[in-house]
Amino acid sequence: MKPGLVNKPWPIPVEVGADGRPIAVGRLAVSAIREEWLVEDGWWTREPLRRRYFELVLEDGSDVVVFRQPSTEAKGWRWFRQRD
Amino acid sequence: MGASAAADRYVELHCHSAYSFLDGASEPSELAATAADLGYEALALTDHDGVSGAMEFAHSCKGVGIRPIVGAELTVAPEGAAEPVHITLLVESATGWGNLCRLITKAHEGTRDGKGMREALPPSLPIGELELDGRTEGLICLSGCARDGAVAGSWERGDPAGAAALARRLLSAFGRERFRIELQRPLWRHDRARNRWLASLAEVLGVACAATGNPHAHDRSRAALQDALVAVRLGATLDETEGMRRGNSSALLMPAADAAERFRDHPQAVAETARLAERLRFDLTTELGYSYPGAEDPTADRRLAQLCRARLMERYAGSADRPEAERRLEEELGLIRGLRLSGFFLLHHDMLELAREVALEVRGPESTRRLLPPGRGRGSSVSSLVCYLTGLSHIDPVQQGLFLGRFLNEELTEAPDIDLDFPRDIREKLIPRVHERYGQERSALVAAMATYRARGGIRDLGKALGLPPGEVERFARSVDVYEASQDAQGRMDETLGKLRSRSPRWRALAALLPEIAGLPRHISQHPGGMVISTGPLIDVCPVQPAAMEGRQIAQWDKDSCADAGFLKIDLLGLGMLSAVEGCVDEIARARGERIDLSRVPLDDPEVWRAIQNAETTGVFQIESRAQMQMLPRTLPEDLDDLTVQVALVRPGPIQGGAVHPYIARRKALREDPAYEVPYEHPSLVPVLEDTLGAIVFQDQVLEVAIALAGFSIGEAEGLRRAMSRKRSEAAMRRYQQRFIEGAVGRGVAREVAERVYDQIVGFSGFGFPKSHSAAFGLLAYQSTWLRVHYGPELLCALLNEQPMGFYPPDALVHEAQRRGVEVLPPEVNVSEIDCRVETVGAAPASAGRPPVRIGLGYVAEVSEADAKAVIAERERGGPYRDIADLAARSGASRAALVRFAWAGALDRLARHAPQRQPVAVAAGSSPADSPAARRASAAIEALAGDERRPALWEAGAAARASASEEGTQLALPLDGSPAPELPELGPWERAVADYNATGMTLGSHPMELLRGDLAARVLSSAGLERAGDGSRVRVAGMVVARQRPATAKGIVFMLLEDELGTINLIVPPPVVERCRWAVRSSGFVEAWGKLEHREGTTNVVVTRIERLERHDLPTAEVKHIAPPIRRETGREPAPAGPARAALEQVVAELAAALPAPHSFGRRGR
Repeated sequence: MKPGLVNKPWPIPVEVGADGRPIAVGRLAVSAIREEWLVEDGWWTREPLRRRYFELVLEDGSDVVVFRQPSTEAKGWRWFRQRD
Repeated sequence: MGASAAADRYVELHCHSAYSFLDGASEPSELAATAADLGYEALALTDHDGVSGAMEFAHSCKGVGIRPIVGAELTVAPEGAAEPVHITLLVESATGWGNLCRLITKAHEGTRDGKGMREALPPSLPIGELELDGRTEGLICLSGCARDGAVAGSWERGDPAGAAALARRLLSAFGRERFRIELQRPLWRHDRARNRWLASLAEVLGVACAATGNPHAHDRSRAALQDALVAVRLGATLDETEGMRRGNSSALLMPAADAAERFRDHPQAVAETARLAERLRFDLTTELGYSYPGAEDPTADRRLAQLCRARLMERYAGSADRPEAERRLEEELGLIRGLRLSGFFLLHHDMLELAREVALEVRGPESTRRLLPPGRGRGSSVSSLVCYLTGLSHIDPVQQGLFLGRFLNEELTEAPDIDLDFPRDIREKLIPRVHERYGQERSALVAAMATYRARGGIRDLGKALGLPPGEVERFARSVDVYEASQDAQGRMDETLGKLRSRSPRWRALAALLPEIAGLPRHISQHPGGMVISTGPLIDVCPVQPAAMEGRQIAQWDKDSCADAGFLKIDLLGLGMLSAVEGCVDEIARARGERIDLSRVPLDDPEVWRAIQNAETTGVFQIESRAQMQMLPRTLPEDLDDLTVQVALVRPGPIQGGAVHPYIARRKALREDPAYEVPYEHPSLVPVLEDTLGAIVFQDQVLEVAIALAGFSIGEAEGLRRAMSRKRSEAAMRRYQQRFIEGAVGRGVAREVAERVYDQIVGFSGFGFPKSHSAAFGLLAYQSTWLRVHYGPELLCALLNEQPMGFYPPDALVHEAQRRGVEVLPPEVNVSEIDCRVETVGAAPASAGRPPVRIGLGYVAEVSEADAKAVIAERERGGPYRDIADLAARSGASRAALVRFAWAGALDRLARHAPQRQPVAVAAGSSPADSPAARRASAAIEALAGDERRPALWEAGAAARASASEEGTQLALPLDGSPAPELPELGPWERAVADYNATGMTLGSHPMELLRGDLAARVLSSAGLERAGDGSRVRVAGMVVARQRPATAKGIVFMLLEDELGTINLIVPPPVVERCRWAVRSSGFVEAWGKLEHREGTTNVVVTRIERLERHDLPTAEVKHIAPPIRRETGREPAPAGPARAALEQVVAELAAALPAPHSFGRRGR
């Protein structure tokens, strides 16, 4: 699940609800959350990984996987989309 | 029930502790405490294939007010499946507990090949076992975890049909009432899909779902450790084990609200946990159906009384003590009847009779050792007259005035401890015989948990983190074995440099070390504790095969066994008993004298002189540095004094502040017999009279609580247990309150009560009971007696029983040489496997001191088979003529010959060697032990070493035998060419060769050889004795022992040896820090400091210490002695039995043993 050249995640604007879960990805509203999972790994390396993933169904019927991880530049989270 | 009500009632039913061994990162007590904080009403512990943590867990839970549920995650193997799967079992009733124990036992069958394989195979239970009649009764089964579970795991592996089939099988094995589909939400990719499928399967099957969290740690701070432990378990790095780890840190105990949120799609599964918990009411702490053999025997009372009365008639015939003995016997028998323990004592008696049979077989009917009892009691049992009469103890408690209370009292809640010490050889045979006598199903060894200490933690975690092995090892060696791991980062900075040690992986190591310290790593066997049961033991505790053939271990350690009320018999191997027996045998062989140790005079002035002068190297217990420092100050005069002495250098009396008052009052009494010993309170006079007002013995803690605070004996015993096991702070506070109020109520001033209570708490249980001390004191006296009168034989016996005692063999030999014992090197034509005293011709018995010949067994890296072959052929065909003859006849490997040559064992066979008849072989020819003969012999021996190079040449040239599968091809006795002129080994080279070959040198002491290179100002040990108190001195020596006792606040004590004696160094903490490398790891050091002569002791308080530099310094054995760490949780790592005993003995060391006005740590003095 680590970013690779072939399947490199790209930043994407995500709007979240009060519980921190996505309610919109880009301009599309989230219709359903299919899965939600957490990856915490590499805590012993220079690049510890801490990602919360969501598999979402958007209002256009598409199925996307997004994740958030702590932002390196600013405080808070940054969202990425990953091709599933 | 609304969502919030359900959320309030989540109970964790699937939880791992560190007793899942490398798949769980928290102690059971930590889990219990966190569960209580989270407001759980109950918590289940389900470790992998075992219940090692269950008893501790159950007690911890009760301590914090939650209900313990016990169970296990069992590995089962479906027929034909590639991988075994997991199911979660929870105990509903006592029958269920019995079934669980049997299933776990079955799963562990065949995990060892019985031939000493290092790693056990993973346990697994054939699934068919669950389908046997009644095997699942009383157990509730959850269908298993998300990854490896029988049902969910099969689905995860893409086999929903297989998953459903397994679910049906389990359902039919357990029935609808006792089977649940287990839902987990480890926050993995397919959680919701999996749980939807599982829920629909449950609906089809008509069973409920139960949610579980599968926590592997009590708190987030341990999540990283859990990852690392998985890597350790798999023997791989973290980077290599991604798929096997949990993937995130969500496997923790969670608040009920979080559980409700996590399982929001399945609220009924959450509610089901509370419903199940209601049913799971089996209480491990009270419902264990255990009884020891003989417990139900109606004739036991009568038989025990008969046995004891008959023995009393014999033992006390004509004794003035008889009326008292009779009174006490009836009192004890009454107590024993009341406690229903007659069968218990008969069982011990039976065990001892079994030991007697084994001893006769081991010792042989002709041995002088047959006079000795097969073993000796130690511990509090020695205070019992019944034990004395049934042969369990050899101390007469009536004559010694021993207090029975700690061993037996009316309020006893668990079976008393009886520890039996045996010589090692007898013990080895006895353990399998006990299995035979009581049945494999009814007896097992107690488990001991190997726990993480600093170095092991560094090595395991270093490997898991993928750090370079060389650096990891360097770091590991830079920390003390038992060092608390809190300052790991600082130590790492120092060893590796900050640049390196601040890299993420090293920092991770530093962060993990304090977390791992003290956690159990694997289960192993206690050195001697056995449990015996009337019914099958496997109904009450799972049993698994031990690494050693023919042995099996119960899954509980000694604390859990004690909590379970198991009858535990400690069959301990005591090195000194073996040594003493070996010594008696050797005396009989060499001098034809039969010694009965039980008749040795106890008032031998020579022996007491030796004890008072601390000439006690090699003697039991009183040989340690601390004891030696104390003996000239306490000047023991009789066995009573020695009994106190043995108990005094223990952590209890030291921390309880008993040592200085005792020493000072003894001195005062010596100087003024009218001196009045001060007591805290008059009620303590009868209790503390023997120890001059100080609390020295463990039983005195009880007696003080009874006398001063009016405790009942059961309460006092409870206090002692609370102190020694540190289970509960709250319990200790209750005892404190009760103690002080009780004392004040009896008219004791509050501050006196508080002071005495502090002394008791300082004591903390780490002390000997008086009875134990009396048994040890007697052995100390007997071994001193042997040392004084049969020095060579005792040295032999000590060398043959290594490792044991305080000193390495090299130091024992040098000390013996200094007092005139002649020690000869190994020689193939003379030596046996063991060290022996040489019988000098037909010398009359006891004429002079026979020399000690080092055995071939001391030559390193020579196999026992090779050494035996050499001796057997010598006995068959006579002495070897030369090295070619040896090679041809004995068939010893070339490697062995080379090792023998290096050890000097072939010197006499080399062609240049001066011809000399080996002493033992020439029996009958030598004219006794005249001084002239001794000098001549010494002169010849002095030439030893000159021939090592020629011997090596010849050993290499000699045609050698070669072993193959078809047998051994013996060498042809070819005449190899003689060695050319080769330069002799110099004295230094010889010393180095000696250390490499045998670990000891008999020739010049390395310090004698180094002396010329040292500055003239460097004093020898003898020079130190002459230097004035307080003078600045400079000394150097070979390090024999270094100690860092817990009681000494970071001070390191070092014992150096030079050619004339020993030197005691006291290294204060700042110097330890500054000169760490020299203190920690040097074999030879030079030290600067201030000399202190105090009351017959000499110490150098070090201000600077450096290693002596010389590239080819030999590496002698140094004993590192340091205390165990304690986790903050207070549970002690428990290396078991003798190891623990030895540890505790040295933990005691020296702060307290030093004269009171000692200068270190006080500026300006």
